[in-house]
Amino acid sequence: MKVAVIGDPDFTLGFRLVGIRDVYEVGNDEELVEAVRNVLDRKDVGVVVIKYEDLRKLPPVLRREIDERVEPTFVAVGGVGAVEELRDKIRRALGVDLWK
Amino acid sequence: MASTFKVQPTRMELIKLRRRIKMAKRGYELLKMKRDSLITEFRNLLEDAKRIMGTMAEKYEKAMQKLALAIAVDGIITVRSIALSRQCEPTFVMHRKNIMGVVVPVIKREEKIIKCCIEREYGVIGTTARIDEAVRAFEELVDSILEVAEIETTVRRLLEEIDRVKRRVNALEYRIIPGMEATAKFISFKLEEMDRENIIRLKKLKGKKAKRA
Repeated sequence: MKVAVIGDPDFTLGFRLVGIRDVYEVGNDEELVEAVRNVLDRKDVGVVVIKYEDLRKLPPVLRREIDERVEPTFVAVGGVGAVEELRDKIRRALGVDLWK
Repeated sequence: MASTFKVQPTRMELIKLRRRIKMAKRGYELLKMKRDSLITEFRNLLEDAKRIMGTMAEKYEKAMQKLALAIAVDGIITVRSIALSRQCEPTFVMHRKNIMGVVVPVIKREEKIIKCCIEREYGVIGTTARIDEAVRAFEELVDSILEVAEIETTVRRLLEEIDRVKRRVNALEYRIIPGMEATAKFISFKLEEMDRENIIRLKKLKGKKAKRA
């Protein structure tokens, strides 16, 4: 299984340095959606790295699909948004804020 | 309750209803146990998740800084050309694990992602230490991204399952079981009432018969 990266050229360059070849460089939102769809169709990608801001831009239908899939798993990096989202989920599911 | 009056007040209906109540109560107990064990599982993971996600965020910041420095000093073209020279892609094996019906990924790294600088494909002489550092920072980042991928998905899915099970437990506890019990009570009351009516009717008939005779 491989790692794929989706994002703008500045973001992906670092991952290119590690040797990742499955890099989707996107300039605008349409390209972003297209890239995510492409990745979802691929069988050899296990983890997708994406910026949190980019993940937020995706349409809700696509986000739900991402949440439901086990392969590939999306990892959002950058900012505290991903952690906040998880924290919100904990609050909703358990009724207490365990993330401190 | 609306459902109370939709049923026919017969003995058969009452027996069926009692059976359903028993079933619902058993399901309720089971679901409650499932919910509790899911929460235990979740709490075990939570501390790890916090730590791993925290380190990942730190490493991301660090890696981006190092990269910016490398680009600023050595120029974007150098960095890009080194990126092109890298050959071995980080690979891993992904399994699926089942925690009480929740499918979660388990990631195993095949080979180490963090490499020593002579193992990398570009020459040591032609490049600077800044690039080496940037590469190393990103290798560490990818390593921790893989860890996060596993644990974050697990935590997220457990939470979704907990939410779902909790809803069902609450629905059974506060809505379905009380509703069915009320219906059962209604039927048994109605049956008793019909019994009493019957007795009165028979007594009246008996009285009429006695008068006539």
